[in-house]
Amino acid sequence: MEGLERYRGIVQDFERFVEAMAAPLPVTARINTLKTDRDGLFCRLKEAKVAFWPFSWYPFGFSLDVEKPGNLIENLMGHIHVQEEISMASPIILAPKPGERVLDMCAAPGSKTTQIASIMENRGLLVANDPANNRVASLRSNCERAGAINVVVTRYDGRRFPSSKFDRILVDAPCTGQGMARKDFSVLGRWSLKRSLGLQRLQRGLLERATDLVKPGGTVVYSTCTFAPEENEAVVSWVAERVPQIGIGKVSIPGLESSPGLAEWNGHIFGDEMKECVRYYPHQNDTGGFFVAKLIKE
Amino acid sequence: MSQSSLKNRSPFSLLDRAAVVELMESRFGIPPAAFENVSFYRRGRNVWAFSLPEIPNLRCESVGLRFISVRGRVPKPTTYALQLFGRFATKNSIALSTDQAEKFIAGEGQRLDAEVEDGYVVVSYRGDVLGCGLYTRGELASQLPKERRIMNEVRKNCLSDGDCR
Repeated sequence: MEGLERYRGIVQDFERFVEAMAAPLPVTARINTLKTDRDGLFCRLKEAKVAFWPFSWYPFGFSLDVEKPGNLIENLMGHIHVQEEISMASPIILAPKPGERVLDMCAAPGSKTTQIASIMENRGLLVANDPANNRVASLRSNCERAGAINVVVTRYDGRRFPSSKFDRILVDAPCTGQGMARKDFSVLGRWSLKRSLGLQRLQRGLLERATDLVKPGGTVVYSTCTFAPEENEAVVSWVAERVPQIGIGKVSIPGLESSPGLAEWNGHIFGDEMKECVRYYPHQNDTGGFFVAKLIKE
Repeated sequence: MSQSSLKNRSPFSLLDRAAVVELMESRFGIPPAAFENVSFYRRGRNVWAFSLPEIPNLRCESVGLRFISVRGRVPKPTTYALQLFGRFATKNSIALSTDQAEKFIAGEGQRLDAEVEDGYVVVSYRGDVLGCGLYTRGELASQLPKERRIMNEVRKNCLSDGDCR
């Protein structure tokens, strides 16, 4: 469990945390309400004798007992999207409304993009941006399968995204991905402080640009799937300090167990408002690891 | 015109909504109301469906959903367009049995009798749309994109008789 020892002081039930990190992730999926509804989908799965368990905290997510959920006919039809449970949290916190203008700044491969499109009921504008050429193909493919008609795909460097105004922006930033170790164990071996600090520069640039692009009164949600405070609280507090119109909003999803963000780490003071952010650890909800912050512009 | 506005100039051009809506109504009997709040654009040999009547001033890789291909002699709706709007079809729609659906999702052609006109059809199974098919003289050819097809060994597990709808 390389690289996790540094979190012993901040993670409650550290032994359970390490144990959960070693166990494989449950297979989970989300219902695409652009194409079907919950009752219809669950009925189909029952008839196909697929065992499934709806999430307690989110009506459109469920876990299922299928080795290759990508081969389900419901996947072919775009009625479900195979997606890690905890990654469904950030679009919920973003809480877009039908008809708004929304930017998903680091969108590929599009799990959260298609979730946002379905919350927006296919209305308004959702710009799905990702600079990586090779990842845009999967983004476009997922949007097609979801039946998203309100999505525009762009390929800008998010830090230099052209001037426009959005009601809400999701910055699901590139990160060291420690929280995904249950899916790909090798991420832990690849972690180094140097990598975290390298990504921190990029993350700060992305989040700062997002605060420029959001309208007054608008919301920016910042999320990563890593535990490193260098890529989480250190990014959010830096941006909040530089951009005076930005305040930190409370993140909370009923039914999901979480820990507050860190006010300090290894002598770095991030400030008490960082406790409004949340950290989801794998042993709390049997998911991957995740960090979410909500920034509100005056 | 500035350099940047030239760069951003969209290759998508707005289409007459009525023409596209009428095409979907005449071929599939889909009521025009189904396309309320949908605009259509053309880029190259495709018609795209988009939620807004104007394209944002950005360099766009894609705008909305690829909806109809006008490459061939007859306009061909995409599987994704039919998965979204095909449930409103009142004609040129074929409901498959489990055996037939297995062949269709594997991308195989098959002979079957259906009361439809030759041409592109909405193909459904247990009340949900699988995608686009091409019906010609008693033969149904699957038009599912290759990357979406589900082959023999797994499809047995994903189909079952029943009626949720």
